[in-house]
Amino acid sequence: MITLTLTWIALPFFVGFISYLLPKLDRYLSLGVAIASVGYALLLFVQPPLTLKLLDSFGVTLLLDPLSGFFILTNALVTVAVILYCWRSDKTAFFYMQTIILHGSVNAAFACADFISLYVALEVLSIAAFLLIAYPRSDRSIWVGLRYLFVSNVAMLFFLIGAVLVYQASHSFAFAGIREAPPEALALLFLGLLVKGGIFVSGLWLPLTHAESETPVSAMLSGVVVKAGVLPLVRCALVVVEFDPIIRIFGVGTALLGMFYAVFEKDTKRMLAFHTVSQLGFVLAAPEVGGFYALTHGLVKSSLFLTAGSLPSRNLKELRHTPIHTPIWIALVIASFSISGFPLLSGFGAKVLTMKSLLPWQVIAMNIAALGTAISFAKFIFLPHEKDEQAKVKPGFWAAIIVLIGGLFLANVVYYEAYTVANIIKPLVTIFLGWLAYFLIFRHTTLKLPRLLEQFDHLIGVMSLMLVLLLGIVLA
Amino acid sequence: MKRDMLEACVFATVLCGFFGIILKRNLVMKIISMDVMSTGVIAYYVLIASRNGLFTPILSNANRGNYADPVPQAVILTAIVIGFSIQALMLVGVMKLARDNPTLETHEIERNNAP
Repeated sequence: MITLTLTWIALPFFVGFISYLLPKLDRYLSLGVAIASVGYALLLFVQPPLTLKLLDSFGVTLLLDPLSGFFILTNALVTVAVILYCWRSDKTAFFYMQTIILHGSVNAAFACADFISLYVALEVLSIAAFLLIAYPRSDRSIWVGLRYLFVSNVAMLFFLIGAVLVYQASHSFAFAGIREAPPEALALLFLGLLVKGGIFVSGLWLPLTHAESETPVSAMLSGVVVKAGVLPLVRCALVVVEFDPIIRIFGVGTALLGMFYAVFEKDTKRMLAFHTVSQLGFVLAAPEVGGFYALTHGLVKSSLFLTAGSLPSRNLKELRHTPIHTPIWIALVIASFSISGFPLLSGFGAKVLTMKSLLPWQVIAMNIAALGTAISFAKFIFLPHEKDEQAKVKPGFWAAIIVLIGGLFLANVVYYEAYTVANIIKPLVTIFLGWLAYFLIFRHTTLKLPRLLEQFDHLIGVMSLMLVLLLGIVLA
Repeated sequence: MKRDMLEACVFATVLCGFFGIILKRNLVMKIISMDVMSTGVIAYYVLIASRNGLFTPILSNANRGNYADPVPQAVILTAIVIGFSIQALMLVGVMKLARDNPTLETHEIERNNAP
């Protein structure tokens, strides 16, 4: 198992470089690596948790348990879908190389259990993500990529200061050492992870970055890359019980903030991006069951981004007047139903499980967030559609969607106990109320929320505010 | 006492860099500010490593006193390499942007490329 794990970690990087040397094989090699990752992730669910100590006593460790298994499975399935989606496109070997290196670094970030390997994994990930965002080489894509790289690098500098403070206190970089660390170390580390994971106000870099990237890149970024910052937060909450409330507070705050923006958004891709912010809040709101929620969200969000890329327009107002092709509409509706928590799809099980694990003070806020989800996805469900129009979708589109939506149906078995009458009625009522609110209020609103906070300078400035806020919370 | 002074200087460097990122308008200046900030972070690692002693941790027969802790130094070496490659990458991006935005002011670039 140890050899297998090490091979699995190193494989994407090797194959990435090899595929650049053998450009004819690029797609096959990348697809092979992603499928190998699916197999490895499934293996994690049946094996006992594995802890790998890489260096003597400095806490450089890998930890592979079912929780990371969920995240790795998400990563692997989304990568498979993205490669299938790009199969017949004119993407060069460079694109596949970056995709697979991104896949590898996200895997590494999910596997490690110490701050330094995490730092390295997160930085490699930002470089690969930057190259993917800037792939079209247009001015806008380069600017969006630069902005992403800048924000994440500054956040990681704060993270580094926090990491050395942890080392100073406990002579180890392991996550467990955070218990002995001074409060400022905690604030700095959390700031880095919050920014990287797109949580709360410090995650407002995310909508523009995810909305302006190319379709397959947005699917990767929204489906898995942000989760590389979320899993360490979940782990910290599980390792040190005292941090659990802090993580939960941020979870609730993020879920409401993202939902609030998503409800008023009129652009499909931006709405999906804001919705990612909100769903990450759900993952953090109940850390002990976050894995399953992350899996469901990753599958659903990438299929939604891939579908949104095949719609004739990004503007929801225009879409209301131009009927879309019925099969695409069906894919859109299945994904929307899953994310709203409709039974038969795994979004239902994930939502029930999360709602059950909430603390009493979280319940009202999270139900409001769930209602907001139903409202925002009613925008998709009630789009007009027609049969006879000749569809112009990318050739790989259906293969990708089948992988993702098939995964949604199959993932139901993880928590089949959810199917009781009371559990089924509640989401149905939520969805019904959401649709009602949509038709009565939100369909007609033309409120445009300002984008002031998404400006570059404000993104950096908000970091200092978040640092003060985090210190306040930790010291309180 | 001396150590506290040094620590204060290191944090001042980090803060200078951070405020530079916010206050400077030119993109290249922002990147240089980020470099200043990362210099501060690197210096902090070196400072923490020297907590127990100053001698380079190289194995030899002569006893030269207390060694500096090699672990933070090894770690920061990785971070230096990563930081410098990210900076190189960003400067390439800036070069590309400079063709259409010769002033390289972030407000301008942001306005030109807003959706």
